[in-house]
Amino acid sequence: MKWIVNNRMNAIYIIIAAFLFLLPFVYESRNMLILLTQIFVFAILAMSYDLLLGFTGIVSFGHAMFFGIGAYSIGIFMKRLEPTMLHFIYAVLATILITAIVSFIVGLLTLRLKSHFYAMLTMALAGLFLVLAEKWRTLTFGNDGFTFRVPELFIDRTNFYIICLVSMIAVFMILKRFTNSPLGRVLQAIRENEQRTESLGYQVLHYKIAASVVSGVLAGIAGIFYAMSLRYVNTSVFAMDITLDALLMTIIGGVGTLVGAIIGAGLIEFAHDGLTELAKEHWIFERWIIFFGIIYILVVIFFPLGIVGTLRKFTWIRKKQHPAKKKENLAG
Amino acid sequence: MELLFNLTLNGLATGMLIFLLAAGLTLIFGLMDVLNFAHGGLFAWGAYSGIWIYTTTGSFLIGIFGAILTGFLLGIITEKWIIKPVYGNHVQQILITLGLMLVLSEMLKVIWGPNQLTANPPEYLKGSWEIGDIIIIKYRVFIIFVGLLVFAGVQFLLKNTKIGLVVRAGVMNKEMVQALGINIKKVFMFVFMIGSGMAALGGVLFGPYSGVIHAGMGMEFAILAFIVVVIGGMGNFTGSVMAAILVGLSGSFMAYYVPELSLAVNMLLMAIVLIVKPQGLFGGKG
Amino acid sequence: MSELLKLNNIETYIGQYHILQGVSVEVKKGEVTVLLGRNGAGKTTTLRTIMGLNPASKGSVVYKGEEIQALPTYTIAQKGIGYVPEDQGIFAGLTVEENMKVAIQKENEETNKRLDYILNLFPDLQKFWKKPGGLLSGGQKQMLSIARAYVNDNELLLIDEPSKGLAPIVVEKVMESILQMKDQTTIVLVEQNFMMASTIGDCFYIIDDGRTVSNGTMKQLKEDEEMKRKYLGIA
Repeated sequence: MKWIVNNRMNAIYIIIAAFLFLLPFVYESRNMLILLTQIFVFAILAMSYDLLLGFTGIVSFGHAMFFGIGAYSIGIFMKRLEPTMLHFIYAVLATILITAIVSFIVGLLTLRLKSHFYAMLTMALAGLFLVLAEKWRTLTFGNDGFTFRVPELFIDRTNFYIICLVSMIAVFMILKRFTNSPLGRVLQAIRENEQRTESLGYQVLHYKIAASVVSGVLAGIAGIFYAMSLRYVNTSVFAMDITLDALLMTIIGGVGTLVGAIIGAGLIEFAHDGLTELAKEHWIFERWIIFFGIIYILVVIFFPLGIVGTLRKFTWIRKKQHPAKKKENLAG
Repeated sequence: MELLFNLTLNGLATGMLIFLLAAGLTLIFGLMDVLNFAHGGLFAWGAYSGIWIYTTTGSFLIGIFGAILTGFLLGIITEKWIIKPVYGNHVQQILITLGLMLVLSEMLKVIWGPNQLTANPPEYLKGSWEIGDIIIIKYRVFIIFVGLLVFAGVQFLLKNTKIGLVVRAGVMNKEMVQALGINIKKVFMFVFMIGSGMAALGGVLFGPYSGVIHAGMGMEFAILAFIVVVIGGMGNFTGSVMAAILVGLSGSFMAYYVPELSLAVNMLLMAIVLIVKPQGLFGGKG
Repeated sequence: MSELLKLNNIETYIGQYHILQGVSVEVKKGEVTVLLGRNGAGKTTTLRTIMGLNPASKGSVVYKGEEIQALPTYTIAQKGIGYVPEDQGIFAGLTVEENMKVAIQKENEETNKRLDYILNLFPDLQKFWKKPGGLLSGGQKQMLSIARAYVNDNELLLIDEPSKGLAPIVVEKVMESILQMKDQTTIVLVEQNFMMASTIGDCFYIIDDGRTVSNGTMKQLKEDEEMKRKYLGIA
């Protein structure tokens, strides 16, 4: 019974993936393509966020920092050097290295303390990176940012779409594996009860730092794709808005589910797009983020499990009720 | 000499503004274990509402009281409807206060528009005194004075009134306070209100100090306040004033000599405190 | 004599752990009821459940004929139950005076009288009146904690292991003071020190694995070697 249900879920995933792969060849809309690419990129960011929040119970308010490191790394490599695949790989390596080091240090400093500290330090550090990007004009061109060219492979929108889609699916599968691995189980045990996990002999701090590093690196990767999709980078990649987007996507979609992060990314990006259109009709929609803020607060209070989590809970309850019903029938 | 004096005065004034924000943050944290990420939003709301009332009525004093009142009101609403439903759940609390921060700053833009507003000190606080070579800007002295006044007032409240004693006792041992027959929930609301009022006061004072206010200022100051709360020790009121002065001064001097590094130096200070003495530079709770 | 407090088959969870699985205790007015049992048996949790700090999920706590198990801690305390926790719960940064001020619910003649009485009983508190509670010795902290619980006109005191970690001479002092207070108030005492328990106590309950397994008068217990060996590990 169980494996049918599981396989059914997998079948749905495969159908959706196949649909997304075929979409650019049957439906030619540049806008839709760009929007979906954007969704894939943010889904990677949101999933990396979910690894922290949903699977380990760590709150980061500076995820934009890792995202921005990725975005600036690719931008600077492509601008300063020739836009070749080799330099692209250098940029990826640089991103991995820097994000890993930064997330390692932040984790080491704060993860042995209460959860507030991680949130606070990441928020403050992200602020520092923002200032750094504004002030270090020789490298970043300050607030104005700069445009750059990308390697040939990424120029074609459809190619880039496919690459982002593949990357998103890859990240999803890697994280699925990761969270189901023994290490991932320990992380979830930490989220449920840190002290007990510690008393079972696990070095909780090491595991939390590991989660922090993996999450930081993946957010950096998302930043690379984001900058490449725009072929432009400015200080906004370090802004609080990016962190908030990741947070909204994860929370609304459903923490600790990974799929929720993808769904959340889709919802927020679509709504973002739609509301920007509506803003032409009425100025209140320019402040679209306020609606999300309110929805977000309501979700945290009333549906802390998010869309996917709440749905799962209901199907789970239904499943639990079945045997009871059978018994009643037998009795009747 | 003159430069040194002015940088010091400037640092003290900024320090006092940060203190007004950090004091509430640290008290709320100490008592309720809630780190209010929306606190910067209350600072910005104090600035907007206060400056608006000030320009409408023409009286800076009414503006100040209006801002404090706004802070009180928002504090009560926040505690009752946003924080209370999620007491005891750290992750939810952190998440929800950030959501509130978002809503508060966007609301500012909805009500007062997305552009920055200008603010000037009232006539009697404009200009400066000149003593020899030294020029003392009146408004800075005013901020320092108000900051010290608030510090003394809260200190008096904490030391000499029953509710102040209960707040301090609650920071140390919440359970025991309740076992002695005190309804700590009421105390929570009180502290939240006072803390929010102080943040709003800081905001309205900041207006004429910088000349302009904008919706993002809450977040900028909140980061400084977080640094102060960590350096001073979370839950430590006296620690917060000393740390605020430290951060204000270092910010002011660094901004003059090596402006690029001013935030970085404070961050570094915070990082060192986190490594060496996570309970804060100025002793334990108290 | 009538019952002041009655626990009816209480069950309490802490997190997911089922700590109390059926505790029933009757406390008679004017008596000292001692809860005995091994470490981790559930004695402290029983007191905490009475105070509403770890509310019971099943069963009832009846105090003066009223069910109080669902009330918040502060209301329970206001009904006249004083609590001296195992760790004394001293506000370390507050002076002795301030500790007492937090505790006093109503300032009136009666309270002042009680304050004078308790300060006479514990002269050390008077001596260190302006000293932070954190700097007191273990015995002085115990006295302060007892004084805080006593100063309000409480009809029932819950005292958790007052002898824990104290030197024998200090234990004797604390014991004497409890004996003195015994005339005016009803006491539920958790105590591992059998000498102290048997001197002060009128009747006893033994809690084992979260259940009350035996009870009786202190005199009965003193004579029952079998029981002492089985549950208390004393021969």
